[in-house]
Amino acid sequence: MTTKPSTSDGSFTILYFASASSYTSKDAEVLAAPLPVAKLFDLLEEKYTGIKSKVLESCLLTVNLEYVDVPSDASSTGLVIKAGDEVAIIPPVSSG
Amino acid sequence: MERATTTAKALRAQITATELQLQNLKAQLATLESQEPPLQNESEKIPTKWPLTPDEYKRYGRQMIVPNIGIQGQLNLKNSKVLIIGAGGLGCPSSVYLAGAGIGTLGLVDGDIVELSNLHRQILHSTSSVGMKKVDSVISYLKKLNPNVRYVAHPHHLTPQNAAEIVSGYDIVLDCTDHPTSRYLISDTCVLLSKPLVSASALRTDGQLIVLNSPPLPQGNPEGGPCYRCIFPKPPPVDSVVSCGDGGILGPVVGVMGVLQALETVKYIVAGGNSGEGNSMLLFSAKGTTGFRSLKMRKRNAKCVACSSASELTLEGLKEMDYSLFCGVSAPVSVLRPEERVEAREYERVKGKEHLLVDVREKIQFDICSLEGSINVPFSTFEGSGLEQPAWLDQKLPADAPIYVVCRLGNDSQIVARKLKELGLDQNGTREIKDIKGGLKAWRDQVDSSWPEY
Repeated sequence: MTTKPSTSDGSFTILYFASASSYTSKDAEVLAAPLPVAKLFDLLEEKYTGIKSKVLESCLLTVNLEYVDVPSDASSTGLVIKAGDEVAIIPPVSSG
Repeated sequence: MERATTTAKALRAQITATELQLQNLKAQLATLESQEPPLQNESEKIPTKWPLTPDEYKRYGRQMIVPNIGIQGQLNLKNSKVLIIGAGGLGCPSSVYLAGAGIGTLGLVDGDIVELSNLHRQILHSTSSVGMKKVDSVISYLKKLNPNVRYVAHPHHLTPQNAAEIVSGYDIVLDCTDHPTSRYLISDTCVLLSKPLVSASALRTDGQLIVLNSPPLPQGNPEGGPCYRCIFPKPPPVDSVVSCGDGGILGPVVGVMGVLQALETVKYIVAGGNSGEGNSMLLFSAKGTTGFRSLKMRKRNAKCVACSSASELTLEGLKEMDYSLFCGVSAPVSVLRPEERVEAREYERVKGKEHLLVDVREKIQFDICSLEGSINVPFSTFEGSGLEQPAWLDQKLPADAPIYVVCRLGNDSQIVARKLKELGLDQNGTREIKDIKGGLKAWRDQVDSSWPEY
């Protein structure tokens, strides 16, 4: 992550690993905060068509280096990503 | 009442597991007794007041004097039985450090044979072991390194049918495999048999490491460590699974992950179990400056289909599990009709006439070797692209000059040929658009045996 974007007021950093990085052609980017975790996948789907079913649904998600559960429906109340947070999308890597 | 049922279920599972273990121990003893030479070896013949042999004090001295290891740590290692599943890029570096550290019994599971393309990263195999079984190649190296360890070869792949029997003979398991199907199978087996699991993986320049099912409490106990299904409940879509053969892998990247697996295993055994530090996942990236990143993991998922109290997974049920069905099976691509494809040898005959050859491999592969006159338009540039006319198409190409599409093996080329037709590049049927069947591999087989096979 050499090009980690800086988070100014009102934004958070999202890091893409493995297949999430290939799909978005990015290692990281900055998105607007606050954002409920439940809405994150829909937002990414708007930016990168198809990413939800092809990548996100099998990924684990961390906020500030901690595992978080992604609520199954977007209307549910759950964790809200705040300005300055670091979110990571981590797909399973199975080869070795 | 519900609680009692759950406990009873957990107990039954434990009993089955213990019975299996007992069976295995008896089998091991029988094998040993049948092989045992009449004379016992030196260290057992003369009882001494020291728990290790003189050779062992010398051999392990440098690690025994490390704080927190000590004589007890060394004895724990000597009394431990470790199973390494996969004798490749992860299994080689992990097994070499575990053998060196003085594990009592080291089992290796792998059904593959050594190939030339393995050698840049699978550090225990040598050029002369190409064609040998991987487990035999690894064990012959390890025996020279440390003859005090008892090595057990399992020269076949782990399957739902043999998994419980193999795993039950060991205390801790290392997942050094390379596919989602084996990752779920190993995790489920470790949950059912209450074995901690040190799991690592690597692709291209990145790696992941996680200690699962630690502490290895029975199914249904929420205080146990999470399993693979708690972390990744849904397998990745089958067409997104990239193997090292397709995606590439840097030797030191997978090496570092294997070495870390050995380290976690040694720590676990020396401490006599989970140190209570909580579960984390370690991510490693050779790109950029971050290097390592430690992520705090969840506890067991209360709805996990393997390790929660809601789980219906049993040792008997495991044998019936279809992991290929769960993870999906990649079927060979077949989107073109036979008449829309040419054999490599046919293309060789027509290539004198005016045509365009489009090579859709990624640029990094095209730069390694390419056919004369071909242009490179990587497959990834077609993904998600719309119906606009491609910029790479030379407008001077006659409307009836055919377009051929080629890739490494003949899958991506079909998808692109179809896409070019959808874009109308076939001029309503006056221009032929075909792919080369079997790709550049077929070119090597049928036309040019000097073509580099990478």
